[in-house]
Amino acid sequence: MSNVVNHRFGLMFALCLGTGAPLSAAPLNEALKPLPPVPVLDPAKVELGRQLFNEPRLSVNNTLSCASCHQLTTGGADNKPFSIGFDGKPVQINTPSVFNASLNFKQFWNGRVDTLEAQVAQVVISPVEMGSDWNTVVHNLAALPAYQNAFKQAYPDGVTASNVQNALATYERTLLTPNSRFDQYLLGNTEILTTQEKYGYQRFKDYGCIACHQGVNIGGNMFQKFGVMGDYFEKRGNPLESDLGRYLLTQDEEDRHVFKVPSLRNVAVTAPYFHDASAKTLEEAVDVMFKYQLGRNPSQEDKDLIIEFLKTLTGEWAGKPL
Amino acid sequence: MRRVSRRRTSQILLGLMALLLASTLVFLYLKSSRDQTATYTQSRDLIRQLQQLNAQWDSEVLKARIAITHNYDPLVTPLTDMTRLWSDLQGRDTYHNPADLPGWQASQAEYLTAIQEKARLVDQFKSHNAVLRNSLAFLPTAEDDIQAQFNRINDEGRLQLQGVATDTYDLLLSSLEFAQVTSDDRAADILVGLGKLAINKESLPSEFQAPVDILSNHISLILREQPVVNSLLERIAAVPVAARLDDLTTHLNQDQQAADLVDHQYHRYLLIFSTLLVVLLLYLAVRLLRSFAEINRVNRALQSANETLEQRVERRTQQLKDAQSELMDSARQAGMAEIATNVLHNVGNVLNSVNISADLVTRKLRSSKALGLGKAMQLINAHQGDLGTFLTEDEKGKLLPGYLNQLVEAIAVEQQGMSDELTQLSKSVDHIKDIVSTQQSYAGASKLLEPVNISALMDDALRMNAGALSRHHVTVLKAYAPVPEILGDKHRLLLIMVNLISNAKYAMSNLSERPRQITLTVETEGDDTLKISVKDDGEGIPAENMTRIFTHGFTTRKEGHGFGLHSCALAAVEMNGQLSAHSDGPGLGAVFTLTIPLTLAGSSS
Repeated sequence: MSNVVNHRFGLMFALCLGTGAPLSAAPLNEALKPLPPVPVLDPAKVELGRQLFNEPRLSVNNTLSCASCHQLTTGGADNKPFSIGFDGKPVQINTPSVFNASLNFKQFWNGRVDTLEAQVAQVVISPVEMGSDWNTVVHNLAALPAYQNAFKQAYPDGVTASNVQNALATYERTLLTPNSRFDQYLLGNTEILTTQEKYGYQRFKDYGCIACHQGVNIGGNMFQKFGVMGDYFEKRGNPLESDLGRYLLTQDEEDRHVFKVPSLRNVAVTAPYFHDASAKTLEEAVDVMFKYQLGRNPSQEDKDLIIEFLKTLTGEWAGKPL
Repeated sequence: MRRVSRRRTSQILLGLMALLLASTLVFLYLKSSRDQTATYTQSRDLIRQLQQLNAQWDSEVLKARIAITHNYDPLVTPLTDMTRLWSDLQGRDTYHNPADLPGWQASQAEYLTAIQEKARLVDQFKSHNAVLRNSLAFLPTAEDDIQAQFNRINDEGRLQLQGVATDTYDLLLSSLEFAQVTSDDRAADILVGLGKLAINKESLPSEFQAPVDILSNHISLILREQPVVNSLLERIAAVPVAARLDDLTTHLNQDQQAADLVDHQYHRYLLIFSTLLVVLLLYLAVRLLRSFAEINRVNRALQSANETLEQRVERRTQQLKDAQSELMDSARQAGMAEIATNVLHNVGNVLNSVNISADLVTRKLRSSKALGLGKAMQLINAHQGDLGTFLTEDEKGKLLPGYLNQLVEAIAVEQQGMSDELTQLSKSVDHIKDIVSTQQSYAGASKLLEPVNISALMDDALRMNAGALSRHHVTVLKAYAPVPEILGDKHRLLLIMVNLISNAKYAMSNLSERPRQITLTVETEGDDTLKISVKDDGEGIPAENMTRIFTHGFTTRKEGHGFGLHSCALAAVEMNGQLSAHSDGPGLGAVFTLTIPLTLAGSSS
């Protein structure tokens, strides 16, 4: 036994020497995948995107920037059930986090666009969000010499709508939250999780949460009907247009109440939950998921364990835990 | 004039022809080498990658179907990659036969429709498969939960509920079977089973309600979702993405083949055209070589003709020169003869008076009263003994003194006359001399310029003095700078040189203690002056003589007539030049320098 240990230690030591990486074993082969490294993109575009992200001129009355609702200090979203649009009225749907959004297979709750660029394009002209139009935005930005120069440096054709969208999308691709404890666990540092958390992960898998929340973004790679095992909306009452989900796009009865499965990364810091912000706490959200998605009746202990696990999914932004 | 315009026309025609040939060549080259192969290969490559991704996608769908993995990322990434590759393919300027373009675009549209349909179906498959797999995985556990409830009740109760337990277990089994082999019969079985379970539930204790509900919910879900998943799989399999990609490949292939065919055709044309060009070039090369040979031959003929011509010209020139110098000689001789005649005539005239004077003097001498003196002396000699008596006594003797007195007067008159006559004669001789010298200066006044080779001329002058020089053991040093043939008066130059050399020789005639040496120097001064000097190391010239040395009649020699240097200086001035002398003093030798303007023989004619 001690021989084996020694041998393993030697192997690890060799790996350490070879890679210069912190002490770690081989990555685990799980259905959940570690966060990829932050991509290295054109710094000029990223910086321009960062400026635009904080630019209220994108909204029609210069009140809202992307950062108004997607606050990077509070999990990449705001903590309101519904963010306030340019006109001071709340929007119909809960704001999803901008963090790790580039890892989602589609954007928006109902996945109506494929790319971050298209997402930007829609939010700016949305009559309840920024309420502007692209000609105005381009005109306003082009009027500022600082932007003119920054665009000239990053794009040969200067200030255009698609360049604004691309700059913002490029910036957003850098908005990843690495180094969550669970990621470290997946990368082989199995000591980082407590036993409780490991049990929580086990419950997460056993109860079938993993059926939808898996992959690199722990969700965000498929659509799912909200209310597989029961009619959530009937129970909740007060039906809204936004509850229709993908039906709004496809007008297909099959797609009624179908939403993009959200990522669970940073889930502990992105309350409230669901598109309708109906779950104020993680507990509530887990209860709803068990009832309407899994059709299971877990013990309180199991739920607690799962919540323990979910808290390990919180990553870092700008070197600090979210 | 017409020939020039014809030449220009032919030049323009030639240029147009060359342009035509070149543009044809370029056209054929471009046509044949338009490189579609690269784009074709790249496009084929992209489509192959798309096919590969599509296949991978299919296999991931099947893996998800049999629940090998829970990770659905692999069902997303192929589409992402395919979308990227597709935009790559779109971005590529794939060549297409314009006629075929609608077909190609239609194929692309069909592919896009297919891929969108497949993406939609795969998304639905993901959703349905996820919940289906979840429920299927959960079924044994759900059944276990019910069994656990069974186990919890006492044996008696369990016996009563044995049927329910068996039914439940059967339902579980048929559900699991249904997942493997989905058929309407089994679906009906399950429906019956679910109905039974619902009825059984009524008879079960309350703690059974929740697990049974959960189980029946999940079985309902399986019953609902399994056919959906199966049909989705079938529909996914039926989506002709691969076929569309094959269509695109076929399209590309056909297009490429057609392009290749055209390409080959142009290659052939290019080959034929090149062959023609090569033949033309060969023909031209042969023509060119022939022309060269012809030109060479003509050139050689021309050259030899030229040489003969030159020789003939030279000969003729020589003849002309000879004739000219003959003419000049004869002209000079004629001139000289004329001068001589003139001089002789004038001299003859004067000689008349000389003759007369001489005659007069002769006659006077012949009839001189001096003869009477002789007779008087005979009388005296005859009466030597009694001279006194004779003179005083004798008749004749008494007359004698008177006679002598008369004689003395007569002789004095006679001498006076002769002296006058001789003065006259001397004047006449002077006149002759004047005539001669005038004629000499006349003769010199006519300048005759001809090409002169200075060194040859110097040698001539030496040769004329050669006898005297060797007699006096004089050595000659020649310091001739190379001087081109000049235009000058050969005779004057010769006169000057002969004189100067002769003078130098004489200047050293009293020299015995050191060798006699003359140095002749010819040099140019600047572009326009020629200096010729004769240097001796003889007796030199005293400073007081220096001013008079060129004057007429000045000489230091006994037999000299003082004419040489004077005429030399005159001749020098007449040639627009100057003759100068220099000596460091008596016994230190002298230098005579002739300075004349340098006119090159070829420059003024």
